Amino acid sequence: MAEKFIPRIVSFLCKWCSYSGADLAGTSRLKYPPSILPIRVMCSSRVNPVFVIKSFLGGSDGVLIGGCHPGDCHYQSGNYHTRRRFAILNKIFDSLGLEKERLQLSWISASEGQRFARVSDEFTQKIADMGANPAKQEIFL
Amino acid sequence: MDSCLKIKKSAEQGLSDFLKSLLEKNEVSGLFTLRKSGVNHDFDYGLITDTQMMKDAIPLHPFMPVNAAQELSRFTGMRKPIAVVIKPCELRAFVELVKRSQGNLEQFLIISYTCGGVFRFEATTAGKAEKQLPAYWKAVSSGKNSDDIRLTCRACEHFVPMHADITVSLIGEKIDQECSLFLHTEKAVKMAESFGEPLSECEMASKTIDELRVQRQAEKHHIFEKIESQKGLDGMIQLFGKCIGCHGCRHVCPICHCVLCDFESHLFDSETEIIESELNSKGALRLPPDTILFQLGRLSHMSFSCVGCGMCTEVCPAAIPVASIFMRTGEETAQLFDYLPGRDVEEAVPITVYKEKELSTLGE
Amino acid sequence: MTINISKGASLPIKEGIEKTILVFLKSLLEDKIFDGILIPMRVPAGDSYAWILVKDSLILDKANPLAPVMPVQGAKALKSLTRKGKGNLKFAAVMRPCEIRASVELAKLNQVHLENITLMSVDCPGALPLSDYTQNPQKGEERFKTLLSGENWGDDSTKPVCQVCDHFSLLPSADFHFGLLTGQAKTLLLIAGSQKGEQILSTHKLSASVSLADWKKRVDERTKNKKKQRADRFREVQKQVEGFDGLLQVFSSCIGCHNCQSACPICYCRQCYFDSEVSKLDLDFILQKAERRGSLSFPLDKRMFHVGRMSHMSLSCVSCGLCSDACPVSIPVAEVFSYVADQTQHTFEYKAGEDRDADLPIQQYRLDEIKGIEKWVRKAEEVES
Repeated sequence: MAEKFIPRIVSFLCKWCSYSGADLAGTSRLKYPPSILPIRVMCSSRVNPVFVIKSFLGGSDGVLIGGCHPGDCHYQSGNYHTRRRFAILNKIFDSLGLEKERLQLSWISASEGQRFARVSDEFTQKIADMGANPAKQEIFL
Repeated sequence: MDSCLKIKKSAEQGLSDFLKSLLEKNEVSGLFTLRKSGVNHDFDYGLITDTQMMKDAIPLHPFMPVNAAQELSRFTGMRKPIAVVIKPCELRAFVELVKRSQGNLEQFLIISYTCGGVFRFEATTAGKAEKQLPAYWKAVSSGKNSDDIRLTCRACEHFVPMHADITVSLIGEKIDQECSLFLHTEKAVKMAESFGEPLSECEMASKTIDELRVQRQAEKHHIFEKIESQKGLDGMIQLFGKCIGCHGCRHVCPICHCVLCDFESHLFDSETEIIESELNSKGALRLPPDTILFQLGRLSHMSFSCVGCGMCTEVCPAAIPVASIFMRTGEETAQLFDYLPGRDVEEAVPITVYKEKELSTLGE
Repeated sequence: MTINISKGASLPIKEGIEKTILVFLKSLLEDKIFDGILIPMRVPAGDSYAWILVKDSLILDKANPLAPVMPVQGAKALKSLTRKGKGNLKFAAVMRPCEIRASVELAKLNQVHLENITLMSVDCPGALPLSDYTQNPQKGEERFKTLLSGENWGDDSTKPVCQVCDHFSLLPSADFHFGLLTGQAKTLLLIAGSQKGEQILSTHKLSASVSLADWKKRVDERTKNKKKQRADRFREVQKQVEGFDGLLQVFSSCIGCHNCQSACPICYCRQCYFDSEVSKLDLDFILQKAERRGSLSFPLDKRMFHVGRMSHMSLSCVSCGLCSDACPVSIPVAEVFSYVADQTQHTFEYKAGEDRDADLPIQQYRLDEIKGIEKWVRKAEEVES
């Protein structure tokens, strides 16, 4: 019997918005897949693109960065920088033919518990359709 | 029409005379240029303060032992300008470093030239450089790609200097008869006037320059297509499988100025238990780890500032075409922001700035 | 040879030396004597070799205990595994003698923890220059096969330092050794060099019952020849390198990339002294220097770097030759450094990597040592007068 593939999605969530949004999803008893593996950061701009690459090469099926909506960053401009960095990383993956669909940036505010649940659900589904990250089996990384 | 100084000597001789004069007349505190090192048939960059030492100078020799931008960033503090003769890509790299507070443009009188490329290291180590020179200069005069230059030089379309005080016109010129120094700044005009000969108005051989640019763009396209055929994670492993992790590419890269690179710091040291756990889940893993991580990480940190100088490929002990790979992806990441590294010192490095309204499809 | 081992076990060669060793290693994994084996493996593109830590014995099929090239020093691979601690699992590392020696030196420098590692070496004919191999891997494979199959291991295709290597066989610091120089005997020898090694034999129900006399004779003879070749070669190197002019000549094409330092297993410093702030000059000083001499070469302090590196690591240099492999302008770094290292090590009668218990000479001192140092030290009376 085939086991249902539960993707592992390493998720960098900013404390002030998306992590709180995730907490709200929890306290509101909203259902979302167990694929999300949250890592709280103070701001989405804390995320060095190398963390994302390391997660990807380490075998994560997906990597999610959650931040505040543009204009609402607790530190004024952090998420603008995140957005640029993500665009560059996305482009690098695209340029080299790596599966850029496994990386996602999402703006989720502290009050958007439902949005968090929906984003998690949709991203998980997308990754499940793609299948497991082949990097998991790769020896020569 | 630009203001220029024409010297009725070969380009190399005319430029050497001009530099010598600057030093003699105390217009500059030193000259930084290529020279015969005096040992074997080797060349290096030299900081010359004695005009007698100019006899060893070969400012236009097609060789790049190091990307000069790295060396110029050591010149901290302000003194009377130092005249430097560097290639367009070295100048662009230096501008990128200046943007990162790693250098100071005012410290120099920057002389660059329309560049025919530089020889590969293997030529100089085998003593073949002298033999290749005549064909090289012929190619430069006629606006063609020499066979003996670096792959990245063959594909370089930014061979007309940006941000130079003075440009020596070489492509398409009669370089054995005439030295044409194009003066772009007040500093340059003042220095040129000190030479004692009248200035004139002249034009660069733009038709030949345009033709060479088209040739180079085609070559670039060809090289990029080859890299593109190695797609995905498998492609990365094919390209970088033989990487020995020496990080030579990052050491010679002018943009990689970090004193302690992320990938050489404790950040990526592994606890033995973590490697053991990874071994348990994979069945086998490569040691030392993080070979591909280093390459992708370096791309994410500096690709948009890559000037395609080609030092990385030259230095790679495993002969991986690093420069072609970085140049290709670098062009794509830079284009995201309509950025061209080294074009304008006022143009901020893309990851250091932002616009409130941009990239609107991301994050929604 | 200073090892007091007179007997070993023998293993019949089936389908070639490499296959035979692999089958043996596989059994060690399958019998859970080790949790994993660190061994070279050809990369997917087929153009080089990489160190792979293998747990799954099926994957071991693709490994090669004696690869034609040594792109990464085994000690470095071991360092990336055990620098932070000895871990919980037991591993065997199958490496060349110079890699064993480098690992032992790194252990003395606290960069490698050997408690859970069994160091297994192989009689080594040398390795091909990396650039030769990467230019034409197929040819490289063929050349190495020819090299191994010849009775006398004819070796004008190996790296220059390999050609004069007198440490190509069993060392006192190895736990286990595969003896390949058995003439045409169609067997290879399994030699235990320590208790860890003896355990391998006993758990495999192999007894050290075969005499090593013949093998020792061959090894001793080759060692004698190599020592002579080494002395001859170093006399030539001395002429190249001697004096200030020699120093200038040898490193004149150096571009200061520091690849030699990066590839060297002994150079473990995260930030090399010669890349640090201490070694950087400011503009005033640079101009002063330039003015004094009339001109100054860039990159700065090239010879300083090389002589400085010698002073920092020559006591542990194992002549593995990775520095020369890594040099983009073909400077014979390995030969020059080996030449100097032989002498600095001789000053302390120290042999890098041979004795795990011998402290590094710069880490300790004896009150009465270094014969002849009186020549270099002026007595107090002389100074005062």
